[in-house]
Amino acid sequence: MNQPRPARINMVANTTLALQDADLQGALNHALVRFRRLRTDAAAEVPEWEALRDLAGEIKAHALAYLDVHLTQLESRIVALGGTVHWASDAVEARRIIADLVRTRGVRRVVKSKSMTTEEIHLNSALEAAGVAVVETDLGEYVLQLADEPPSHIIAPTIHKSVAAVSRLFSEKLGAPPLDDPEDLNRVARKALRTEFLAADMGITGVNFAIAETGTLVVVENEGNARLTTTRPRIHVAVMGIEKVLPRLADLGVLLRVLARSATGQRASVYVSMITGPRRPGESDGPEELHLVILDNGRTRLLADPDLRDSLRCIRCGACLNVCPVYERAGGHAYETVYSGPIGSVISPVLVGMPRASDLPFASTLCGACAEVCPVKIDLPRMLLELRARAVRAGFTGWVDRLFARGWTFAMSGPGRLRVVAGLGRLVQRLLVRRGRIERLPYPFAGWTAHRTAPPLAAHAFRDWWRSR
Amino acid sequence: MSRDQVLGRVRAALQPVHGATAPQSLGGWPSLPGPQVFTDPVSLFAERARAVGATVDLVASIDEAARQSAAWCATRAVRRAVVWNVASLAPVRDRLMADGIDMISPLLVPTRNWVDAVATADAGITSAEWGIAETGTLVLASGPDQPRLASLLPPAHLVVLRADRILPDLPALFARSDPLPSALTLITGPSRSADIGLVPVFGAHGPMAVAILVVTG
Repeated sequence: MNQPRPARINMVANTTLALQDADLQGALNHALVRFRRLRTDAAAEVPEWEALRDLAGEIKAHALAYLDVHLTQLESRIVALGGTVHWASDAVEARRIIADLVRTRGVRRVVKSKSMTTEEIHLNSALEAAGVAVVETDLGEYVLQLADEPPSHIIAPTIHKSVAAVSRLFSEKLGAPPLDDPEDLNRVARKALRTEFLAADMGITGVNFAIAETGTLVVVENEGNARLTTTRPRIHVAVMGIEKVLPRLADLGVLLRVLARSATGQRASVYVSMITGPRRPGESDGPEELHLVILDNGRTRLLADPDLRDSLRCIRCGACLNVCPVYERAGGHAYETVYSGPIGSVISPVLVGMPRASDLPFASTLCGACAEVCPVKIDLPRMLLELRARAVRAGFTGWVDRLFARGWTFAMSGPGRLRVVAGLGRLVQRLLVRRGRIERLPYPFAGWTAHRTAPPLAAHAFRDWWRSR
Repeated sequence: MSRDQVLGRVRAALQPVHGATAPQSLGGWPSLPGPQVFTDPVSLFAERARAVGATVDLVASIDEAARQSAAWCATRAVRRAVVWNVASLAPVRDRLMADGIDMISPLLVPTRNWVDAVATADAGITSAEWGIAETGTLVLASGPDQPRLASLLPPAHLVVLRADRILPDLPALFARSDPLPSALTLITGPSRSADIGLVPVFGAHGPMAVAILVVTG
């Protein structure tokens, strides 16, 4: 597929738009305050929470350090169980593998359960192009598919949508009467989707964890749509990034505990499906064919990068999004990438390239809240700083930023220089100070005072004051 | 080939970590904590399962469980139920059949019509391999007599669990070396979603009600 190269993501412009959207601001604030409280309470219930985070991080780090060994073990276990393993070095290959399966198996209807990895490879449009009906079955993803919108949060893809908006959508697309009770809306979707499940030939899911020693694929969810997707259709295709593998079954006990509490504040997610091979002789349900697609798509670039390798520990719980002050204002769509929030700002510059994503590492206040909640202890602020330095070195920052940074470096590298520059500043600011504040800075620094005033330089430098006391 | 390409990139990326030679042993594994110890795992299981919306009743014997099952089916107006074909559920099955409930089991329905049959059931009745006290979780194993859809398609799920099968937590479950079935399913409460307006609702896709009978005798 020869697509034009997408333009650079303009995070400032996107966020400016998001800030003007009062509905979005209200919905984000409502959702994130709630998610933060749920996570905090769930973590506080576990006395050894900090030790558990350390352990979860160590398990993932160790799994990554021997990734090749674990991936080949996983492959041989799944093949021994009667499954098939496919390797995809990028999104194009992954789409081709699945499109080939669809064609050779005569598949006409596909049901999918929520998977960020299949969003990443733009699977749906490829399958639709191959003439297959694809239905998203996670309630939130189903709403978004009807609305033709991308998800805006890893765990809660529809947090930007109000009940009224969903009701309008169901009336328009499903012919449902206007409903204002989420329970009624849920029943409409359940009924429509049940028909899809019963008619589908193929179910496609992501993978939360894959256990190398047993060949088990683990899918975590609350609704039951992933269970239906992996049980009813005759073919199950699971798509996973290379980083999802865990060496031992015992490791799962640690990671499931931190995942549910970090993601939704639950002690346990409602359903954890542990799938070990296809349907066995004598069984009356479960898929006859099981396919696992193992995807690289830029992840080995992260693995080869000592500064960013630990970002592959991520278990996609979404906790870092929920605490991020920038995400709370900007919303997921502003990032224009599949993975938004702090973790997205770290991995996207590598996955989609710095030319496109150079704005993202700057979409952070570096407050450190993300690192404090991360259940696998990824040092996100340090990685964001590192990526900022790379963006600067590669010339992706604007001339104003560079000019300012150069000037700052000059002024701060000697006491004499600082004195001269500050003295000049005091002269210039006489033209700007009104009622003790700088209300408007001239071009090119006007952005600084677009939404706030700036404090002026003090009338006397500290050192002069100190000397004169 | 993509396999060699991906694995080649992984090995190249890990070269500085491993040194020149491939790792022969995976030493230095993080050691995992043992299971927690709870003074009364059965009560904790009941409390935690109720906290997520399941109902839990403690019964003294499997015959008592059969009586409770019949009462549960009567209040829910269950006319057709899919039931696992396992020996431990025989008294329950016999009792419900005597009550005139249409029983579907994998032995009675040809595989081709199996899904359609289950889709019309008012309730699914299964046993559980294990319970997990810390989270109120049920552990169900699939098998020829233990179809997965029984706990998934019907609007209500009745589960019989022996009290001595309640483990403290997931580490205790995963420390066991039992061979894994094609599907081991951990179930914590009824199916739920909060995707519309952040309002939690039961019965998103799976059962709206989960009733657990814990057999203590």
